[in-house]
Amino acid sequence: MSGSLTLAKRAAVAGRVVLAVGGGYGIAALATILLSLTLPLPRAEAVTAATLASFAVMVGVVVVAFAARSLGRAAAILGGLALALALALRLATGSFPFGFGS
Amino acid sequence: MTLLVAGGLGFLGLAALCLSLGRHHQALWPSPPTRPRVLGLRAAGWTLVALSLAAALHFDGGAFGPVHWLGSLIGAALLLVVTLSYRPRALVWMAALAVVVTFGAALA
Amino acid sequence: MKQGFRQSMAWLHTWSGLVVGWVLFAVFVTGTATYYRAEISRWMQPELHRQAAIGPEALAHAADLAVAHLEAHAGEARSWFIGLPTPERPLVELFWRTRPGTAPDHVLLDPRTGAPAAMRATKGGDLLYRFHFELHLPPLWGRWIVGICAMVMLVALVSGIVTHRRIFSDFFTLRRDKAAQRGWLDAHNVSGVLALPFHLMITYTGVVTLAIMYMPWGVTAAYKGDQFAYFAETGQITKARPAAGQPGTLAPVGPMVARALATIPEPLERLVVSNPRDANSTVVAVFEEPHGLSHEHPQVAFAGTSGTIVEVLSGGLRPAAKTFTTMVGLHEAHFAGPALRVLFFLCGLMGCAMVGSGLVLWTVARLPKAGTATGFGWRLVHTLNIGTIAGLPGGIAAYLIANRLLPADLAGRSEREVQAFFGVWILVAAAGAAANAWLAPRQAWRGALAAVAGLFAAAVLADLVLARALWDDPAWFLGFDAVLLAVAAGFALISRKVDRFRAPGRARREAAAAVGTPRMERA
Repeated sequence: MSGSLTLAKRAAVAGRVVLAVGGGYGIAALATILLSLTLPLPRAEAVTAATLASFAVMVGVVVVAFAARSLGRAAAILGGLALALALALRLATGSFPFGFGS
Repeated sequence: MTLLVAGGLGFLGLAALCLSLGRHHQALWPSPPTRPRVLGLRAAGWTLVALSLAAALHFDGGAFGPVHWLGSLIGAALLLVVTLSYRPRALVWMAALAVVVTFGAALA
Repeated sequence: MKQGFRQSMAWLHTWSGLVVGWVLFAVFVTGTATYYRAEISRWMQPELHRQAAIGPEALAHAADLAVAHLEAHAGEARSWFIGLPTPERPLVELFWRTRPGTAPDHVLLDPRTGAPAAMRATKGGDLLYRFHFELHLPPLWGRWIVGICAMVMLVALVSGIVTHRRIFSDFFTLRRDKAAQRGWLDAHNVSGVLALPFHLMITYTGVVTLAIMYMPWGVTAAYKGDQFAYFAETGQITKARPAAGQPGTLAPVGPMVARALATIPEPLERLVVSNPRDANSTVVAVFEEPHGLSHEHPQVAFAGTSGTIVEVLSGGLRPAAKTFTTMVGLHEAHFAGPALRVLFFLCGLMGCAMVGSGLVLWTVARLPKAGTATGFGWRLVHTLNIGTIAGLPGGIAAYLIANRLLPADLAGRSEREVQAFFGVWILVAAAGAAANAWLAPRQAWRGALAAVAGLFAAAVLADLVLARALWDDPAWFLGFDAVLLAVAAGFALISRKVDRFRAPGRARREAAAAVGTPRMERA
């Protein structure tokens, strides 16, 4: 844990941080959008429930990003999750809303 | 009032749970606890903690009950830990006091 | 990081806790103080005299006086906020913002005459309240920084729980006879584990209070980003009434106050007037929360020019919205009576202790071996630790002292108090940093904490000497001073404790000397 970190190790840690922050927020945002649009509740209720849950989703994703055995594995898991959510969103709405190309 | 009843029961329950651990058992008794005693203390401890939750739910309902229960339990735990670290022997009369407070507040 | 799950979580806990620890400590301290925001404000304005109940006529009259003042001084503002007098705080409090981006204007009026209230200008408890989620930065910056730190705290909590093998036995164990590192570890474990339900609750609900700002994408998708429409549809605010663009005259608000009071059986808290000079102006009467966990202010909206009721909001939230407002309510704990509030306050203190002891633990666990120099990283963390853990409380004490020492009619008085707060904070931090050059870490800690204890004692002294003649309720003020003295005593006690902890090096040497009688080190 002390001074003798190699460059490769530092890069791996930095990679995990970027992956956890970007991936965590991105996946949480995608999940929020998906649930907001698809939960079988009145619109306001669906958005509220999705938004309330989103922070737990993000914490879970961050834990996974740091717990995975290697950086590549972590990236694969998070990438898969994001892709699945995006596809589900595409199926649910017929388009990728805002900025994901519609 | 709920805080006193739930807190008193919680204090007694947590004290029993804590005395079931070897280190703290020896603060009051000379030897490590025997197996039956450990089980007895644990059973009594969890029962009392469950009773304190039941009391809080009974007095304050499903919304305020859990809040009062957790609040009083955390307060009781803090008191217990400080007592154990600084005056472990005081646990004897504090447990007696907790019984009095619990019954007093429940009947008041 | 090619280790097991537990090790990677331990690593995550250590480093995520460290990087946000200083901000979290400040957020916890100011948040804990905010449980007594109203009391701090009252202590800082000893000229204020409480009143018996305030009747509906007096309330309506106060509202009319408030609007008259705003018509004269804030005609250009897009909205007016009128805090109405209560028996605890018999003042009319006005806020308005003339241009976006500028600081809001703020005035306190006497509710009977409408003249500016004759009392010292201060931000009172509001400084600590706003610092708690804005860090005295531009609001957007502060809120995002606090939100990110809160998310990292959630991660640190979850990874901390996972790291713990023996939560059950650590629950009760505070060893005070062992080496420094053990002591700090126990303090960190006990304060973290005892109040764990509180820590999880307060962190998650804290993020939730600003959820729509941090995670707006659900609203973006379902409402095309119209947050007002979303909040109105959930039943948390009244529907927005856009400005007509034509001038209009605001009807007298006194009768609106009377009708609002007849509609909702709660104390009236404030009025919000939107577009006051527009034909489509709106007056919203906002009431105190009814008894309950949920943060839900009943509201009555009036058309400003006619004074007719356009909307009444009172309860009836659906489950998800109710969950949301209950989370916000739990975070604020407005529902807590005196005893429960003390428990919330103690839990907050345990949060401060958890974050503070965690930060200190990082340095104690990495204390350089005897004879070797400390690295830059270690010195940086140590300096920031002293600067935050001693500096912030020192700043709060200085804020209270400045409140008593500065003349009541000084120009820019409330800003001077804030300068005292930050000035002393920086001073303590700088002294701590400078002390690194010639003092051992332990001595620097002892000195800084003792200084904080002295500052809190000085605040009590300043109150007793300078403000005693103003107290309307001596027992109340003496009670507040007693709490300040208890805080001072707490810091003095920790200062002594820090001094008595033996550095691991010395403990080890003594253990080696006493090798004939080895003591079992039971983990």
